[in-house]
Amino acid sequence: MLLARKLVLAHFWVAFVAFLGAILLGEWQMFVRSPLATWVNNPEHYYRSVTAHGTVMAYVLPTLVAMGFGYAITELALERPLIGLRWAWAGFWLVILGTILAAVTMAVGKASVLYTFYPPMIASPLYYIGVVLVVVGSWIWVALMSINLRAWKKDHPGVSIPLAMFGNVAGAYLWAWTSVGAATEVLVLILPASLGLTDTINAGLARVLFSWTLHAIVYFWLMPTYIAFYTLVPRAIGGRLYSDTMGRVAFVLFLVFSMPIGIHHLFADPQIGAGFKFVHAAMTAMVSVPTLLTVFTIVASAEIAGRLRGGKGPFGWVKALPWDNPMMLAVTFSFVMLGFGGAGGLVNMSYQLNETIHNTQWVTGHFHLIFAGAIVIMYFMVAYELWPQLTHCGPLPQRLMKTQLWLWFVGMMVLSMPWHLVGLLGMPRRMAYYDYTHPDLQSQAWTVIASTIGGLLLVVSAAVFVYILATAHRGARLVPKTFTFSRPAHAGAATPVALNGFGLWVAMMIGLTIVNYGFPIAQLALLPEAWVPVIPIGGRG
Amino acid sequence: MKARGMYAWANPWFRWSLASIIVIAMCSMLIGFVWLPSVQPDFTAQGLWASICRAAGVPASWAPDLDTTRSHPQSTDVVLERTMARAAAPDAVGRGATLALNCTMCHGARGLSISDAPNLAGQYPEVVIKQLHDYKVHKRASSVMEALAQGLSERDISDLASYYAYLPKARTAATTYAEALPALVRVGAPMRNIAPCISCHGGVDQKLGTPWIEGMPLDYLEAQLKAFRSGSRHNDSEAQMRNMARAMTAQEIDAVSAFYARKAPTGESR
Repeated sequence: MLLARKLVLAHFWVAFVAFLGAILLGEWQMFVRSPLATWVNNPEHYYRSVTAHGTVMAYVLPTLVAMGFGYAITELALERPLIGLRWAWAGFWLVILGTILAAVTMAVGKASVLYTFYPPMIASPLYYIGVVLVVVGSWIWVALMSINLRAWKKDHPGVSIPLAMFGNVAGAYLWAWTSVGAATEVLVLILPASLGLTDTINAGLARVLFSWTLHAIVYFWLMPTYIAFYTLVPRAIGGRLYSDTMGRVAFVLFLVFSMPIGIHHLFADPQIGAGFKFVHAAMTAMVSVPTLLTVFTIVASAEIAGRLRGGKGPFGWVKALPWDNPMMLAVTFSFVMLGFGGAGGLVNMSYQLNETIHNTQWVTGHFHLIFAGAIVIMYFMVAYELWPQLTHCGPLPQRLMKTQLWLWFVGMMVLSMPWHLVGLLGMPRRMAYYDYTHPDLQSQAWTVIASTIGGLLLVVSAAVFVYILATAHRGARLVPKTFTFSRPAHAGAATPVALNGFGLWVAMMIGLTIVNYGFPIAQLALLPEAWVPVIPIGGRG
Repeated sequence: MKARGMYAWANPWFRWSLASIIVIAMCSMLIGFVWLPSVQPDFTAQGLWASICRAAGVPASWAPDLDTTRSHPQSTDVVLERTMARAAAPDAVGRGATLALNCTMCHGARGLSISDAPNLAGQYPEVVIKQLHDYKVHKRASSVMEALAQGLSERDISDLASYYAYLPKARTAATTYAEALPALVRVGAPMRNIAPCISCHGGVDQKLGTPWIEGMPLDYLEAQLKAFRSGSRHNDSEAQMRNMARAMTAQEIDAVSAFYARKAPTGESR
């Protein structure tokens, strides 16, 4: 039963069309930076493109997917119509308005500040207002998720919240508190400077506030994927979810540990004390726990599927898995990329090892592998799973779906592995061009060509993805089968009261953020030396 | 199952979660603020409390060994502010025009001349303000300009800047991108740390305090680049031009100067 079909489709279509545009920009960047092209004539165009690619991929795509998926889960898991449909549309249009505003500002070259927009670089105020509108639109979604859950709980006292909805609301609360950092930065520091009200900006404080959002946002992107792991994968491959409780534990651990760790992005920043850097590094290590729990649980769920299909022995069940099933393929690819990306992430978060790869191409490789690889490949699966419900189409073409997933996996590996390698060799990220005629760089030239080819595979995969979704709108309409989520191996087991609500975990999330961020923020806010002159980008001439 | 009891100490989830989070936070704080600093001599030199403060990012003094009584050479006293770049009121332009009668001998009646003195017509106001200040306090050398700048008040300087900013830039237009631009102007030389000219001097971006150099006299441009290279001119606040010029060859200086001077006004046309 999915009543808000138009709403969810609108979110998904805008997300995926923007995604297709941004992936073309990404491939263009890779091409002009490679020895295949002559140097980009105007480096500003490169940075404009990086800003647009990053803004769409990091803010617009995941926000719209999380929102659309969240609305779908609310109706499918709670089995009742969405409360506040009109508000949901208002949120959607705010996101669209913000995206258009930011896109136009970027296109005319008034916002080439890269998507992390670090001060003292300052873009036109319209760019920031656009980003703020996207965030405010998503806050409406947060409120609606909370309201819908509350209403359901009131009507179902003592019943456990369905796991999909539990993860969904955890993601919403996580995003609400995550976005506070960057929202504060934009409203209190950047917009006054961008509007010309001040000539200086507290760059140190701005970076600290942004780091609050910058790392936790990753877990907001990740939530739809983890919800898919727990509630779609076991059902789709014909197994049972090994543990429903483990899913809840993973979701609340993300809530608690994703915020107070962002300073590991600022290891090279002199304005932060070494003590806080260590504390954030230690807490970042903690956030690998829910991921390891998830990998364990999903592999155990797959084992159940394998054994149900007649697999025997310690590894026989692996062979018995439904390898011709796109979901099986996707979750395998996702875990492989999560494994490599996660291992790279452990390098990034450790205070000492970070020195060797800080601001190198390694970092770009890391977050492409984790986000664009492990996470986005599951966004594809979420869309494929929901499409028959949304469009009432027949079964999607399995072969084409598998080709698309293979292309994405191979493309992402070919794109990001050379980046890791040259990152270790010291190639800086965010450079518009390299002089490959230089003997020191010549030996690295092939890696950039390899990445360009990987990027091309990704473009093809993205086009196939959009083609599959678009063609599903044609053809006969069928009444879709009732949508189901995974059933746990031990159905009916009691859910601990602490894992059937969020109060304790939200309190711990806020408390730990204050402990880990309170002092650095207060100290930098009071430090007059942290104020530096603003550098407007695209200001004149 | 009752929702009550969630926050009770009797609820093991509550008890264990809270206890573990406190233990994790305390342990990492102890390690980060006490144990790790204890093996670093610069952290422990002034006792435990000073060491904790340092680890928190608040050293008692940021540079204890620095002798603050000794003066350090400073390239310029001027701090560029965006207010300097704003368009001035008409009366400031008028006052500036009167004062500028003193400057016509070298800089021309309308800010353009063929005397190898730099063109000032259409120059960004903060550029004129900064250079006049630097001449006044002898941060930039010129026997003529250092003497002339002595008599100028703050207001005179800002009025002169307003006047020259108000004058039209004559026949020179900003450089636009083309493959044909000299490589140094367009993309710089990344491996030698030379930034492209157009990333500050207009084209890709126009940075605050960076002069308009289109159509400047050839000799002036060459002389300035050479002066930056030798260090005899050193009023660029972050040594940005000295660093660029030092990495340039004599041929490159000639080529870049010739490029920017190509639109210089000729004698006949004036």
